[in-house]
Amino acid sequence: MLSRLVLVSGHTLKNSGSFGACLVQASRSFHQSSQSLAPVPPLPEKGGKVRHGIFPEELFSLLYPKTGVTGPYMLGTGLLLYMLSKEIYVINHETFAAASIGAVVIYGIKKFGPSVATFVDKINEDKVAKAQEVKDQAMASLAQGIQDEKKEQWRVEGRHMLFDAKRNNVAMLLETNYRERLHMVTNEVKKRLDYQVELQNLHRRMEQEHMVNWVEQSVIKSITPQQEKESIAKCIADLKVLAKATQARATV
Amino acid sequence: MMVSFFDQFASPSYLGIPLIAIAIALPWVLYPTPSSRWINNRLITAQEWFINRSTNQLMMPLSVQGHKWALLLTSLMIFLITINMLGLLPYTFTPTTQLSLNMGFAVPLWLATVIIGMRNQPTVALGHLLPEGTPIPLIPVLIIIETISLFIRPLALGVRLTANLTAGHLLIQLIATAVFVLLPMMPTVAILTAAVLFLLTLLEVAVAMIQAYVFVLLLSLYLQENT
Repeated sequence: MLSRLVLVSGHTLKNSGSFGACLVQASRSFHQSSQSLAPVPPLPEKGGKVRHGIFPEELFSLLYPKTGVTGPYMLGTGLLLYMLSKEIYVINHETFAAASIGAVVIYGIKKFGPSVATFVDKINEDKVAKAQEVKDQAMASLAQGIQDEKKEQWRVEGRHMLFDAKRNNVAMLLETNYRERLHMVTNEVKKRLDYQVELQNLHRRMEQEHMVNWVEQSVIKSITPQQEKESIAKCIADLKVLAKATQARATV
Repeated sequence: MMVSFFDQFASPSYLGIPLIAIAIALPWVLYPTPSSRWINNRLITAQEWFINRSTNQLMMPLSVQGHKWALLLTSLMIFLITINMLGLLPYTFTPTTQLSLNMGFAVPLWLATVIIGMRNQPTVALGHLLPEGTPIPLIPVLIIIETISLFIRPLALGVRLTANLTAGHLLIQLIATAVFVLLPMMPTVAILTAAVLFLLTLLEVAVAMIQAYVFVLLLSLYLQENT
C-alpha cells in the first residue's frame, strides 16, 4: 500500500514543482519511438457505408445478432410510432414543410449526386495524371538518354574503321600527288629533249638547204649560154617526138 | 407543442440561455478544414473547387487593392448560403431573418467601401454622385437624388436579405398549414397545394442561394466603384 502511495505521489510530483523537473528527466526514456509524423497514413478511399442515405451500416450489423435483418426497421418504426402516439412529436404544418424539403433534397441527391461525384473525382484524377505525366516524361527522357549513350558507345567502337578510311584517303592523296609530280617532271624533261632534237633538225635542214642552194647556184652559174640553147633545142625535139608518139597512140 | 407562425423568427433560447451564438456558429462545423494532403476526399475537393471558383469570379472585376477583401467576401458568401439553406429545414432558426444581423453585415461593410473611396480617391467617389450627360438645370436635383440612393444602399442590402428570407419562410409555413388543414377535408385540393408547396420549396432553395450571392455581389460592386 505504501508502494502505491509512492507511485502515485511520484507521478504527481513529476508534473509539479521544482524538483519535479529532475525526476522527469530521470524517468524519461529517450529515443525509443521514431516520433515521426510522416508518412501520413492514407485516407480511406470511400466514406463509411450507409443504408438509405443516413443510417450507418454499423447499426444494422450491431443489431443483426440479436434481432436479425428486420431488427433496425422494427426499431425505427417503433420509435416513430412511439413518438407519434405519445405526442412527443406532433404532426403539424412543419411536417409537410419537412416532407417537401426532404423530397427536394432526395431528388437533388439522386439526380445530381453521381455527376457531382464523377466531376470531383475527375479533378483529383487530373491532378494525379499531371504528376504521372511529369514522371513518365522524365522516365522517357532518361531512357532516351540511355539509348543515346549506348549508341555513342557503339559509335566509339567503330572509330578505328573511320581512322583506317582516313588513313587510306591520305595515302591515296599522297600517291596521287607523287604521280602528278612525276608526270610533270617527265613532261618537262621531254620538253627539253624535244627542244634539243628540234634544234638539231633545224640545223640539218638549214645545212641541207644551204647546200642545195649552193649547188643550184653553182650549176646555174656553170651553165653557159651555148649549152642553154642546145638543151632547149633538144627539149623541143624530144617534145615533138613525144607528141607524135601520143598522137599515134591516141588514134590507135 | 403548438408552433405559431412567428416562433421561427424569435431568437432561440433554451431555459433562458440564448442559443443565438450556436445558431450563428453552426455553419463553421459543417465545412471540413482542407488538410495538407495533396489529394483529398470528394467533399474537401468539391468545397475547394467551389470556393476557388467563386472567389475567382468575385475578384475578377476588382482592382488589386480590392483583392484584399477576398477572404471577407468569400467567407461572408459561404456563411450566408449555409445559413439560408439550413433555414429551410423544419424547426430551424434562420439568423438571416433577423434584420439586426443583416444590417450588422450591410452597414459596416458598405460604410467601409465609402470611406475607402473617400480617402483614396475623393474626387472620383464624389463624381459617382453625378451621372454623365445630365442636363445642367437638373444637376442639383440629381445630386440630391444620388446622395439619397447612396445612403439607402445599406438599408437596401439588409432589408432585401431579411425580407426575402422572412417572406419565403412565412409562405412555406402558410402553405404547409393550408395542406395540413385541407388534408382531412378536401384531399385532392390538399394534394394540389402540396404540389405548390414542393415548387415553392424549390424556389426557396434557389432564393436562398441567390440572395446570399446578390448580397456579396453588390458589396463587391460598391467596392469596385470605390477602389
